[in-house]
Amino acid sequence: MSNYDIDVAIVGSGPSGIAAATALSTAGVKDIAVYERETEIGGVPRHTHHPSFGLRVFKRPMSGPKFIAALVRRCPDVRFETSTAITELRPGGVLELATASGLRTVRARHIILATGAREIPRHGRLVPGLRPQGVITTGALQQLVYSAQLRPFEQPVIVGTELVSFSALWTLRHAGIKPVAMIETGPRISAYRPATLFAKAMGVPIHYNTEITDISGIETLTQITTHTRGNKTATIPCDGLIFTGCFTGENTIAAASHLGLNTSNRIPQVDQNWITSDPCVSSIGNAIHPADMGDQCYLEGAKAGAYVAGLLAGNTTLDKAFAEIRHGDGIKMTTPSILRSDIFGEPHFDLSFHVTIPFRGMVRISQGEQVINEKSINCLPMRRITLRNNRFATGYPIDVSLIGES
Amino acid sequence: MPEARWDVIVIGGGVVGCAITRRFALAGAKTLLLERGRDILSGASKANSAILHTGFDAPPGSLEVACMQAGYQEYMDIHTRLNLPILKTAALVVAWNEEQLGQLDGIVYKAHENGVDDAKQISRKELLDREGGLSSTALGAVNVPREYVIDPWSAPLAYLKQAVRAGASYRFGTEVISGAFDDEYWHLETGQGQFVGRIVINCTGTNGANIEQICRKPDFEIRPRKGQFLVYDKSASSLINAIILPVPTPTTKGVVLTRTIFGNLLLGPTAEEQQDRNEAGVDREMLEGLIATGTEMLPGLAGHAVTATYAGLRPATQFKDYQIGAEPGKNWIGVNGIRSTGLTAALGIAAFVENLCSETYPDIADFGPAPAPEWPVMPVLAEHGERAYQQGDGTEIVCHCERVTRGEIEAAISDGDVPARNLGGLRRRTRVMMGRCNGFYCSARVAELTQGKISPPLAGDKKDQT
Repeated sequence: MSNYDIDVAIVGSGPSGIAAATALSTAGVKDIAVYERETEIGGVPRHTHHPSFGLRVFKRPMSGPKFIAALVRRCPDVRFETSTAITELRPGGVLELATASGLRTVRARHIILATGAREIPRHGRLVPGLRPQGVITTGALQQLVYSAQLRPFEQPVIVGTELVSFSALWTLRHAGIKPVAMIETGPRISAYRPATLFAKAMGVPIHYNTEITDISGIETLTQITTHTRGNKTATIPCDGLIFTGCFTGENTIAAASHLGLNTSNRIPQVDQNWITSDPCVSSIGNAIHPADMGDQCYLEGAKAGAYVAGLLAGNTTLDKAFAEIRHGDGIKMTTPSILRSDIFGEPHFDLSFHVTIPFRGMVRISQGEQVINEKSINCLPMRRITLRNNRFATGYPIDVSLIGES
Repeated sequence: MPEARWDVIVIGGGVVGCAITRRFALAGAKTLLLERGRDILSGASKANSAILHTGFDAPPGSLEVACMQAGYQEYMDIHTRLNLPILKTAALVVAWNEEQLGQLDGIVYKAHENGVDDAKQISRKELLDREGGLSSTALGAVNVPREYVIDPWSAPLAYLKQAVRAGASYRFGTEVISGAFDDEYWHLETGQGQFVGRIVINCTGTNGANIEQICRKPDFEIRPRKGQFLVYDKSASSLINAIILPVPTPTTKGVVLTRTIFGNLLLGPTAEEQQDRNEAGVDREMLEGLIATGTEMLPGLAGHAVTATYAGLRPATQFKDYQIGAEPGKNWIGVNGIRSTGLTAALGIAAFVENLCSETYPDIADFGPAPAPEWPVMPVLAEHGERAYQQGDGTEIVCHCERVTRGEIEAAISDGDVPARNLGGLRRRTRVMMGRCNGFYCSARVAELTQGKISPPLAGDKKDQT
């Protein structure tokens, strides 16, 4: 039965998609297509021009576009199809694609979803006020400044203090725009503390414990109103408002498909080898754990691609059944979220997760009565925590819980 | 050059103003529409629940129900020729407690009184069979089979386009400041100069009382009522089939759950009295309250992402019914107090106003030969229709959330009748940037495609031009 059009279809050409393609190609898989809905390949790094890429993959800092170019050079014999959007994922390895000439379907032996992440914009955060122009996200800002060469505003405010918030600051600096403030709901920045020095050097004040209570301006933004804990209300005149961070996986196609989803966030369930509930579909990268650095995504994509190559070569047989990984309060989500045993692999897995609020204490992985792994952690919500090499007995659910210091 | 003299000047480009402009243009009147915003639908009409109502729960015998039913019928008659979509959902008025259950037969009675004979009560079992996603605390419902969902923006645009093809004109960014009547013509002063017309029709919604002052002391006051809405991502729309309505209270129709024509799920509105006639913002507490109400009715909503939040102002008055009237001898017709039912009623209101005009001003209401109507074909934006990206219009998708192609954007900007001239107009004509990412992915492409074509620009000017 070889009614497949191609061996592997990869959806998304960011670092994880390119990595998976490279690993598959290196392992000898022949017919690989990478579908990219934008007109150019590269995903988010394409318009991230500061040197926050390459340290782990190439051992030197690189800009996003240079990083992508270097990754593509390591990826021969792979067909990239741009301006090709996936509109549907069906059982049996079938994708529906939209191109300029309409819809077509392709059937692949395996599909890898590498659709990336985006920031949750103003509306999804239920921010109060009017709906003037000038309220955007970092992703939009970077494309406006770097791709379209536009100067969207003169006096913006940055909402958030994650790493990407400082990326927005960097982008504004490149455009010669000085923001009037950064706003953070918590008592400290979400990124590592030294990032505050960058804001300080640019002369941008950070308002802590502060949230937006109103957005004003009928047609274009005129000002925001903020409330700071301790009952201080202030208005900040501004012509731009950049919502940064708060990443969410771009899982529209997966969530509308037959794939099993984590109920809390509607992200596809994946096992320790990035295989979803459908054994012929993988999901990798920031789509399933928004959002890590490009280098991390690349390294993950390479492992996931190599695993799929093994599957296609018949080295591994997948168990259709899987056990769930359950998590307790304080944990946002875990990757993987399900576990499968394969008949050749050792039954062990690496577990990554994020906490929902700053946490100091113990994380414990257990299966029934048995504790599989424990680790002391002290971390903030944005940091990824990983516990490696957890051995498990197949077929039974796993529990991950936080045990706080009293 | 002598100044242009119009037969009819319509003030206000909401759905009602567009429908009236169409009606008079098709009747052969030389018609001008003045709109203070940069596009039609800049006021109350841009934010509503997009339902084509049967009028089953409107006050029996009212002008409102007459206009709604006439408007409903005309929409059904013309929508195919204009390529305007309909989602035939039906509506279910759901009782959530014993008291509401007891009110259902009254709702059926009123519906029958209004001529909506197919409205009937259904059991709890039938309700939950039809709507498996609803909370099992539902006790029963009234089914109103002919309540439908339509496109609230393409419909008025189609009306104005058809009017333009019949010879009508429009001026955007033109706010009427004052006016004088010389016993034959109205001379309207605007920020863009004077416009002279024989008959003036005031369709200015929340600004209606102010504009009415130009002619007469209004016998109503506008009491703007704010309604906040939440739009859920398309993933949520499969949770319901019909429009889910609550049992109304004396003051409000309550919170509605409905699919939209674009494949989303809409939750709202709130009903809040406010003074400001121009601005309607959202606030977190009300939105969170809506989410709580919605999730209680439809537990599966939890976990689905909110795509958009918005607020609209309904131009309610102290009266329950519409306030439509002509001033004898002054060639002035006021069309006021068109509260939340304007989208359904617009075509019916237009017919009523045309009739009122010829009855009140028989000498001047004969406008000469009516042109043969042209029928503009609106682009397919409905989720259930065959969209441009599916047909393959030769261009790539620019907005991935709403799957809007470059071709669709370019067509809206270069439209020969009523092109998009601001971002709101472009969004309503194409759906671009209306999706879950709010422009994270496509802002820059849209900024490039619209450079120099919309005002204010999406994101400033080219760096080298500043």
